[in-house]
Amino acid sequence: MARFLLRRCLLVVPSLLGLLVVTFLLIHAVPSDPAVSMAGEGATPEQIARLRQQYGLDQPLWQQFVIYLGKVAHLDFGESAFSHRPVALDILQRLPATLELTFAALALSIGIGVPLGVVAALKHNTWPDYLLRVFSVMGIAVAAFWFAIMLQLFFAMELGWLPLRGDLTATMGRPPTITGFLGLDAALAGRWDVLVNHLRHLVLPAVTLSLGGLATIVRFTRAGMLDTLQQDFVFYERAMGYRWLRLVWIFILRNSVTATVTQIGLLFGGLIAGGVVVEAIFDWPGIGSYTVQAILTGDRQVMLAVTLLVGAVYAVINILVDVVHGLLDPRLMEQG
Amino acid sequence: MSPVGRRQLGGLAAGALVAGSLPALGADSSTLVSGVQLPANLDPHQVFDVPMQAMMFNAYDNLYRYQNDPPEVVPWLAESHTASPDGLTWEFKLRPGIKFHDGSEMTAEDVVYTFRRVLALGLGPAGAFLKILKPDNVTAPEKLLVRFKLESSYAPFFAAIPSVCIVNPRAIKPNEKDGDWGKAWLASNGAGSGAYRIVPAGYRPLEYLDMEIFDDHFLGWKHNPKPVRKIAVRPVKETSTRILALLNGTIDWTDTNIPADQVEQINKSKVAYVQKDVVMRTFVIRMNNTKPPFDNANARKAFAHAFNYMGFINDILGGYATRDPYPQPETLWGIPKDAKGYDYDLKKAKEYAAKAAAEGAPMKRAFEIHVQSENEQSVQGAQVFQSDLAQIGINLKVVGNIWSNLTTAATKPETTPDMWVHWVSTYFVDPENWVGQMYDSQFHGTWKASAYYKNAEVDALLRKARGLVKQEERAPLYEAAIRQIMADSPDIWIYNSMQLQGINKRVKGRRFCTVGQGLEVRTVSLDG
Repeated sequence: MARFLLRRCLLVVPSLLGLLVVTFLLIHAVPSDPAVSMAGEGATPEQIARLRQQYGLDQPLWQQFVIYLGKVAHLDFGESAFSHRPVALDILQRLPATLELTFAALALSIGIGVPLGVVAALKHNTWPDYLLRVFSVMGIAVAAFWFAIMLQLFFAMELGWLPLRGDLTATMGRPPTITGFLGLDAALAGRWDVLVNHLRHLVLPAVTLSLGGLATIVRFTRAGMLDTLQQDFVFYERAMGYRWLRLVWIFILRNSVTATVTQIGLLFGGLIAGGVVVEAIFDWPGIGSYTVQAILTGDRQVMLAVTLLVGAVYAVINILVDVVHGLLDPRLMEQG
Repeated sequence: MSPVGRRQLGGLAAGALVAGSLPALGADSSTLVSGVQLPANLDPHQVFDVPMQAMMFNAYDNLYRYQNDPPEVVPWLAESHTASPDGLTWEFKLRPGIKFHDGSEMTAEDVVYTFRRVLALGLGPAGAFLKILKPDNVTAPEKLLVRFKLESSYAPFFAAIPSVCIVNPRAIKPNEKDGDWGKAWLASNGAGSGAYRIVPAGYRPLEYLDMEIFDDHFLGWKHNPKPVRKIAVRPVKETSTRILALLNGTIDWTDTNIPADQVEQINKSKVAYVQKDVVMRTFVIRMNNTKPPFDNANARKAFAHAFNYMGFINDILGGYATRDPYPQPETLWGIPKDAKGYDYDLKKAKEYAAKAAAEGAPMKRAFEIHVQSENEQSVQGAQVFQSDLAQIGINLKVVGNIWSNLTTAATKPETTPDMWVHWVSTYFVDPENWVGQMYDSQFHGTWKASAYYKNAEVDALLRKARGLVKQEERAPLYEAAIRQIMADSPDIWIYNSMQLQGINKRVKGRRFCTVGQGLEVRTVSLDG
């Protein structure tokens, strides 16, 4: 197990380095000068030139990359050309909100998607299966922004059950920041009113973000289950008189979810990317809107850091997926 | 964020009807929830744009400030000022007893520190001062007297004074690092004397900002017996969410860019209405005068006659703009009222195009107009233009781009697009803000001067006007310059904006000024 994990972790380093090189080159291929954005309206060419020099933007590209790499090795991601604040600080303040939303969406996708996939497989070619197939196609096809607006109109405007936007009611005071996760900080501070209020704000963005993943998980679970249901061990266990539900939820499901687990790993990256739109619509204070702002203003340091961060999170999730695969099928672990 | 699309608006219309029957959610009558955008950071010496104005006029004060509509510069922290006849020496006398948020008294030394900081950082509002003011030439001869000695006479100096927020060095200096003038610290904190003070724990860049009332503000609170105690700025990024949040009372006011086709729906609701204010913000299509055929005056006139000005204003903007044929707002002084602008006339456009072609201008080549993809109005403007140009045989391609790419490209004539679209906002109410910086060739290299227009006579007029102090002496010079600029037609000037801001009906006492967009909260109170 240790060797398995070590090998996976070592592979992350060149992957992230490669990601950094490609992102660095792509960002610098865009004809946008952060010094112009930084200097603001009415800035003179002298002001802009001074900023270029100050931020090393006038140096050769390879030199800029070497300097940047040296800083990244010390976890210094530079200063945002837009906010003039350390990028690491900006990201650290926002990442918890994004992770909160992503994990909530993932939990909804898995918690609802896997059982529905099982039901679809067990009711193969009957009306529940047809219904779930239609639902899963729609779930993948529906645009997140449209679904979000529909949810807002119905649950926030029509029924008034859930908040429209944000992560907390504006007039409510925030608890002291300890972990950065608002819900957790509220619980730690004993601010249950804040916790409940925050969780109510989480519902609509999490449901919106979960839809595509949920539909995907239903399809993969269904396909995996149908495949496993045809295997000899199922017929054997049934013939031996195993309780059907125990057989389904423990043995058949375990042998069916390998592809689903892989898909969940891939979904995670998709959820973070999809979160950009969802965060913008619901004004969720994560890294999504920060990233969009960085792209619009040509804020290279932020774009690089966010890409690296998402890559790192993605790598960690994929290691976890590999571990889960190994636990589900110990033969993989032995192969290293 | 991008403005709402037409399909989304269909849904919003339904939402608006629903919201008509909803009660306002903003039950707290001491907290104003503002949905305007936040500036990039909170330091008014690093950032100077429209979102910053909304923040800084509440958290900071200035020596003089623009107030009222039409805007006038009124004494603020300074009770008076004098200028020497040659325009080189300016003195400002501070009011006594002004307090910063930390309770310390403001003196002339604080103003000196402020201006030296602005000059040292060289960002935001510094552009107006860098060429004419040396740090050592800002002095405090007396406790409440500040003296500026300019390198050369520069009339817009006074107009630019309200752009500088006076900061408290006693709050900043302990937080300076490596001679950064407290740049990193002030980006997330406050050090002002304004009517509201920033709550540092209630700030996350671009996401939220809390400000609370400053009871000791130098103007006092007698003018407003029931002031707003707390401002909660909660920027709403998507237009659709912005409108819904206004309609269900989650926010008290929106930013000033409500889509024209939502005005009627919002006005039907019981909760909110749309306030319409004419602002000094012009919409212009730039032409790169160095690229053929735009180096030919007849070619430029052909393009100027091919834009359907009133069609765009009436059909796309719902009439919520005023046609402004001048290179600066029609309401600003310095306009030659006898000068005639360009009208929409495809016949004339065709004639000018033929003249230009006869002079060797390549009118048949494909043209590009670059727009801000995320801004629906700039895209629509370009599409209207594309359609009309096609009628006279000119092939125009609309190219989506982003603001940072466009402003970078516009710093060199060879990379500036054939044409591009942008607005010019008010930072100081003076022709220098428009024609001065847009058409004096010494500003080539800034995106504001991206027409790369060059006319020695205009340069001379603008420079002379800049060096005089009295408006009555400057006005004829600007009039002459504008007359010549209009004759040369370097750009296409389309309209002056009408800002549309959604406001909850419980908001009372709002006062409008084009500088700051009416977002000063000092006079506001909330019903209920």
